[in-house]
Amino acid sequence: MNNRILAGLLLGTMLSTPVLAQDNMDRLQNMQRTDATFTFIDQEGDRADALNDILQHINLPDGFEISLYAVVPDARSMSMAPQGTVLFAGTRKDKVWSIVDRDRDRVADEVKDFAPSVTFDIPNGPCFSPDGFLYIAERNRVLVFPAAEFFFESPDIAIGEVVPQGELIPVDEESFNHSARVCDIGPDGKLYISLGQPHNVQPAEKLELYDEIGIGGIIRINTDGSDREVFTRGVRNSVGQDFNPATGELWWTDNQVDGMGDDIPPGELNRQTAAGQHFGFPWTNSRVEIPAFKNVPRPEGVEFVEPQLELTAHAADLGMRFYHDSSFPERYHGGIFWAQHGSWNRTTPVGARVMFTALDEEGNAAGAEVFADGWLNDDTGEYRGRPMDIEFLPDGSMLISDDFAGAIWRIAYNPAPAE
Amino acid sequence: MKLAPMIALGGLMLAGSFFMSSSGPAAAGDPAQGRKIANMCQTCHGVDGYARVPIAPHIGGEPQEYLEAQLMAYKTGQREHEMMSVVTASLSAQQISDVAAWYASHTAVATLPDGVDAEAAPQGCVSCHGANGISQLLDAPNLAGETNIYIDTQLKAFRRGHRQHDVMSEVAEGLSDAEIRRLADWYSAIELEINSPPG
Repeated sequence: MNNRILAGLLLGTMLSTPVLAQDNMDRLQNMQRTDATFTFIDQEGDRADALNDILQHINLPDGFEISLYAVVPDARSMSMAPQGTVLFAGTRKDKVWSIVDRDRDRVADEVKDFAPSVTFDIPNGPCFSPDGFLYIAERNRVLVFPAAEFFFESPDIAIGEVVPQGELIPVDEESFNHSARVCDIGPDGKLYISLGQPHNVQPAEKLELYDEIGIGGIIRINTDGSDREVFTRGVRNSVGQDFNPATGELWWTDNQVDGMGDDIPPGELNRQTAAGQHFGFPWTNSRVEIPAFKNVPRPEGVEFVEPQLELTAHAADLGMRFYHDSSFPERYHGGIFWAQHGSWNRTTPVGARVMFTALDEEGNAAGAEVFADGWLNDDTGEYRGRPMDIEFLPDGSMLISDDFAGAIWRIAYNPAPAE
Repeated sequence: MKLAPMIALGGLMLAGSFFMSSSGPAAAGDPAQGRKIANMCQTCHGVDGYARVPIAPHIGGEPQEYLEAQLMAYKTGQREHEMMSVVTASLSAQQISDVAAWYASHTAVATLPDGVDAEAAPQGCVSCHGANGISQLLDAPNLAGETNIYIDTQLKAFRRGHRQHDVMSEVAEGLSDAEIRRLADWYSAIELEINSPPG
């Protein structure tokens, strides 16, 4: 017998029950019911106790305090609903979580999966439009849920496809590498979606294809999926972006090449001032040249934009948000907070902390400082947690998602009263 | 690697467990040395081989031969991954044997979810990967408790030819997206425990 016969034998015995996923999509689009049920996450017990034990290790500036906001497995990018009643968190698995603090005591009391009738595929990136449409950017699809803030309590919920399955990137480019998308609605009302390129450094023969599609970039589309264009070029893998509410400019973080040593290339925080700007990758990461592209011609007539900040190499700068609330001290107003996920193969691990930069008078980043750390155990090099994204509650306190610990942390400014 | 299909075939016709006793041609690996190398694996795979991120598989208690073959495939470029290709470039063949020995020295224990019958397992997979996702031969990985998206991604990579294997390439070729997800969900739902080696 040969392999072909073997494969035939195996296939002949494979289960062939049809999967309901697409049926459910069709049903939901026709406002029909499915038999899906919710998965609830216990907010008390051993898991919560173990997470609360981590809090004592976290270092914060004077006057700030940290607490456990919610137990949320695999919590990744977050989006707070416009009315502030429910938080959504994506994962790199198959769940989007809805997180509710009904009694407003700043601790979530219900965490359950959102739209359990939908078969999700790396739904990392939720983002809201100001008028309450929830977009979810998956590995290779973008979904929209109208008025999700009001309908999330039902397992069956109205749904639309902004970008159908297999049309965000070519199916042949699908992988599990750099496939966690983030999205945002810009001041122009368009949807901005990051598309990480799936290699450490892409092969030169991929340049043309990736440039055309916006892989290794950020694309923007109308919220009905039309008029797709590449907004940002020369990105390696951005998993954090936000618009400066003061200027409407898009800022984003980037993750840098591995295998060039412990201390290069630096991580990046970037400021984009015009559509179509090129930030250098794969020719450069920040000002560091990538050896494999030394002899590959650079795009003609293009000047690479340098990053605003060069950050600790391999610390993995991910989710970021401008601070536009008021409960933190004034020095933080209008600045940027972002999460460093932490390194995965640096000799001495770095990261797993929350960073901050103020903006100067020209609207440039003034300089990175550590805002919160302690999720990395310096003695053992092991992580207690890994901050992934930043979001804010309506009261201006900060939420930090942590996909390692499976938690959402809350940092509030609550200075002790003067003696 | 060439032996694998024959072993799999035998497994279909005879008792699969017979082949668990066959010893592979793997180089001798030193688990104690491998434990030190595992420091560079732990952020993703855990020091015990229980993965800490969805993009990485559980590797504690896998057959040493399988682990070694995959690491060598990354090192030689036969298999590519944006992280693993970087990691294996810095490892010698001996270090690969050592770290494979470390993870293989663990024991993987799989438990089906309550009320789920092993008979309902995807029959095309069980002769190599077991109903409970524990490998039945030296050239197959455990699948128990892997993130469904991980299994889904690997099957699609086999189907598209991005990853190649004598048996898996042809198995995957005949599967639809929906069938792939169903198989992935079966193995993903299994609870996996990884026990450290004694001592």
